[in-house]
Amino acid sequence: MAAARWLLFKALGAVFVLWAVTTLIFFGIRMIPGDPAEAILGGPGSQASAEALAQVRADYGLDEPLLVQYFMQLGRLLQGDLGDSYSMQVPVSSLLAEQLPPTLVLAFLALVLAWVVALALASWSMLSGRGAAVISSGLEIAGAAVPHFWLATVLIVVFSVNLGWLPPVNTGGVDGLVLPVVTLALPLAGFLGQVMRESMLNAATSPFALSARFRGETERGVLFRHSLRHAAIPGIALSGWAFGSLISGAVVVETIFARPGLGRTLLRAVTDRDIPLVTGVALVAALAYVVVMALSDIAERLADPRVAKR
Amino acid sequence: MTLLDSTRSRIRNRGAHNGNRRVGAVEFIAAAVALFLLAAALFPSWLAPYQPLAINPADAFQAPSPDHWFGTDESGRDIYSRVIFGARESLLIGAAATAIGVGLALVLGALAGLGGRLLDFGVGRLLEVLFALPGLLLALVFIAIAGPGVVTTTVAVGLSTAPGYARIIRGQIIQVRSSAMVEAAVVLGRSRAQVLRRHLLPNALAPVFVIGTLGVGQAVVWAASLSFLGLGEPPPAAEWGAMLSAGRTYLTTAWWMTFFPGLFIVLTAAASTVLGRGLQRRAVS
Amino acid sequence: MPILPRSLSARFSTAVAAAAATALLASGCSPAEPETSQSPVSGGHLVYATGDAEPTCLDPHVGGNYPQALVSTQYLEPLVSLNKEGEIIPWLATDWKESKDGLSWTITVRDDVHFTDGVKLNAKAVQANIEHLKDPATGSSTGYLALEKVTGTEIVDEDTIRINLSEPDSALLESLSQPWLAIQSPKALKRSKEKNCQSPVGTGPFKVADWDKQNSITLVRNEDYNSPPADAAHQGPAYLEKITWRFIPDSASRYAALQSGEVDVIDNVQPDTINAARDNESIEHLNAPRPGASNRIELNSGKPPFNDPLVREAFVHSANVNAAISSLFFDTAERSYSPLSSVEELGYSAPDLFTYNPEKANKLLDKAGWDQRDEQGYRVKNGKRLSLKFPVSTNQSIPAEISLFEQIQATAKKVGFDVNLELMDLSSWYGALAANEYNLVSAPYTKVGPDVLRILYHSDGIKPAPSGYFANLSQLDDPKLDKLLTEAGRETDPKRRAELYEKAQKIILNGYYILPLYDQQNHFLHRSNVEGFRALPTVSTPTFYDTWLSQ
Repeated sequence: MAAARWLLFKALGAVFVLWAVTTLIFFGIRMIPGDPAEAILGGPGSQASAEALAQVRADYGLDEPLLVQYFMQLGRLLQGDLGDSYSMQVPVSSLLAEQLPPTLVLAFLALVLAWVVALALASWSMLSGRGAAVISSGLEIAGAAVPHFWLATVLIVVFSVNLGWLPPVNTGGVDGLVLPVVTLALPLAGFLGQVMRESMLNAATSPFALSARFRGETERGVLFRHSLRHAAIPGIALSGWAFGSLISGAVVVETIFARPGLGRTLLRAVTDRDIPLVTGVALVAALAYVVVMALSDIAERLADPRVAKR
Repeated sequence: MTLLDSTRSRIRNRGAHNGNRRVGAVEFIAAAVALFLLAAALFPSWLAPYQPLAINPADAFQAPSPDHWFGTDESGRDIYSRVIFGARESLLIGAAATAIGVGLALVLGALAGLGGRLLDFGVGRLLEVLFALPGLLLALVFIAIAGPGVVTTTVAVGLSTAPGYARIIRGQIIQVRSSAMVEAAVVLGRSRAQVLRRHLLPNALAPVFVIGTLGVGQAVVWAASLSFLGLGEPPPAAEWGAMLSAGRTYLTTAWWMTFFPGLFIVLTAAASTVLGRGLQRRAVS
Repeated sequence: MPILPRSLSARFSTAVAAAAATALLASGCSPAEPETSQSPVSGGHLVYATGDAEPTCLDPHVGGNYPQALVSTQYLEPLVSLNKEGEIIPWLATDWKESKDGLSWTITVRDDVHFTDGVKLNAKAVQANIEHLKDPATGSSTGYLALEKVTGTEIVDEDTIRINLSEPDSALLESLSQPWLAIQSPKALKRSKEKNCQSPVGTGPFKVADWDKQNSITLVRNEDYNSPPADAAHQGPAYLEKITWRFIPDSASRYAALQSGEVDVIDNVQPDTINAARDNESIEHLNAPRPGASNRIELNSGKPPFNDPLVREAFVHSANVNAAISSLFFDTAERSYSPLSSVEELGYSAPDLFTYNPEKANKLLDKAGWDQRDEQGYRVKNGKRLSLKFPVSTNQSIPAEISLFEQIQATAKKVGFDVNLELMDLSSWYGALAANEYNLVSAPYTKVGPDVLRILYHSDGIKPAPSGYFANLSQLDDPKLDKLLTEAGRETDPKRRAELYEKAQKIILNGYYILPLYDQQNHFLHRSNVEGFRALPTVSTPTFYDTWLSQ
């Protein structure tokens, strides 16, 4: 019963989030100077004739008052119609269907790799003494302070140009995925690692860990039975955020590695003032976030029963 | 020192931390770096041998040498001088953006964590909305509306990082609120304000320190990414992110153009993290 | 390897030479064979990586920008082309004739060409294309502007069409040679806009097989191809079986992909990359400057402070362009002193006007009343600083060019100009121009022939189009110049036309309305096994019809 209520609650919350995102994007984009009718007619600088502009405005309902346009768009969205992209002249839904999978794969692999690297570093530093702690902490800080675009270029120069091990751009195969995934994962691993280490440290010095030690448990036992679980809580809470940040990172990574995907679509849609496409990408990102959040909520409840009590 | 204390400090030591009040070598170095950065930000002309914008095309792409410690860029500008002069702008962007982000987050997080159910619900939904939008999308749209510049970049970065901070703060407050310590205090009849001041805030703020100090470096990195997308500081600003993105073009032929600004971003992040943790330990104990 | 042949007879002689060389090889005596000894191999798959934006529509009639021209050159063909001397040569059209009054042109097209959907090329097909370009629903801008003087068409016979004009147009054939006015199957044009954008149908050596958005376009050989332009090196279908047209926006990745052999040809090559590639033996360089205008900085004479010619002259002398070009472009770009590209036969240069001379600049500014300086060293007049807004589009200006602007900013500062560079995306940039929020701007303009001057400097170009766009960015408003440009646009006598354009360019240069920089850069790098690759002399788009892959 409680679970059903919780689910309903989450579902309502998700609908609210999607509505709010649509609204924010709609008005946000309309605040950007520039005429959507031009965006439809081949973008800025196209010397579209007055007739063409008028025709497009009528076709797309751009001559209606803004509020009417807003409700028109909401109405279409309710029917599951994302509309046609202004710049590409094809249904947004078909563009998203093409562009979403590559980004999902990229972000998911990067998230997994980031978790593995972060956990490994944090555990290593907990178990192997001061030197390991300084090194891993330094690595984490450096990792978190490296911009994706720089890391990507360095990786290409080293692994593609100099060593020739991996292709510098998307090949459609698995080998082309390695560098982009690593580029996305390392800065995130640095960030996650620092947060996890802090929680691990707190857990390791918490009364129950101490009492476990007094009971004669080994350090390894304390780490795996208590600290790891506690370290995981903020890590899990951050995963939703991390997923969003990966989509932001995908903008840069997909551009440099010439991969198709949501990130590049987003950048292009904003520069082209392509409202339907921006809305579509934002909705997909929001939906992905809602799903990841629900999953991480469940994981958090399992890891720490106290959270469930609220 | 009690047995418990000694055990704690033993374990803490393993986690690269020194005893609570002693200043360790790592912290000392971090403080020195921070002082140097601060000096660079406040009095750049004391430290830099050249003007940051003085071009000299004949001297372009010089590798590091006694004349130009960090080499020169594509216009023959001295990179060491640019990095020094860039400290003010970069640190300001980093600090201001983090302050905006953390400040917003504190208000939202505290409202959610301490207010009634309804307030928590409202703030929670608002955060979710902000969260659900990829940070870069927020930044891109904001910059497109307001036009590029220092202030826009700073606000854009602050806005897009705020939800992350807020969520952590809210989670932390909830966790602390339901802890045995706070429950005990409530049972003992402490007032709301007392509980808030003595227990909730110090404990809830602890991770914020770490994340906030990390955030300075992160914010500089964000600004750099915006530069990469052509939306950062307008040239010829010596801001580190802009330098990093401008130098990327010449990565294979002039590594020093990106290495040194990048090094300073990492140094800033490292120094502020180490110091932040030190401060936090003192605040908690 | 001889320069590519330009006429049928030349093509014949190459064929003979190649045959002779092969014979030599066969007879076993081959002392230091030249490269031509290898005869073209049919087959193979070439990967082209472009740094230009991915087109939103593969039909260049819609909108009409350079990225569309790049790819559509492979599958669509215009009526005529140009040879290296800038003379019109036959392509889909075999014959053309201007009426005595200049108010109509009669054009005959080939009678043996079919579109790849089986429809036959004829006068009616050309008519359908002109109507398509002029239809507001198409949303054409480049093609639409090029056909501005066209009032209508008449079918004379199966293969002959008459194009009627409102006034004589000496640039009509040059306009028709551009890829934005290429001829498509009339049957295909009748499909929905969405369909036609996905897979336009033309007569070209390749056809669009697939478009994987944000990744690549697949082009496959047109096996029935029979319509190469008159300057092509061979006849019949193309050698290459397939071209993968990839979009790799990042220039460093693009070069890395070429180095690793992932791709065979890249465009939009940055100066430092060309420089780096000089040492790489498996990579070759092709420079094909674009026609039309040179890359230049326009000085907005429509508002202060550049409404004062003295200030314009002072700015031009305060900019140390040559030093910047040599350090930033590694000798890959040559300084221009003309409003027109170096490939334009009628370009006129005035190097003496554009010297770096800070002393002269200082004197001019003093004379113009900007004789005070504020504490930062900037010139002041009536309490106002000599500030200049310079919006820069990051989509159009490469990093080296932005650095060049920074150096100009630095040298101009010494004289007392406060130049503010503002980097922005394309939409915001056009917005700033439409709002007249600029004093300096660099805007490329590609068009075949000197008629580009009319578009850029006739006072009609100050009036904004309905979209807010206007082409005359220096806001040059001179009735004398207008008259010259209009006359030149009608003049069909080559000698007289050249005179008129020279006079017009002198007015533009002597008035210091522009600061010419260099040609519109258009560099390609390719693996050295890519043979017979060239750019069309029209708008310098690459063509792979004669291209083949050696071992």
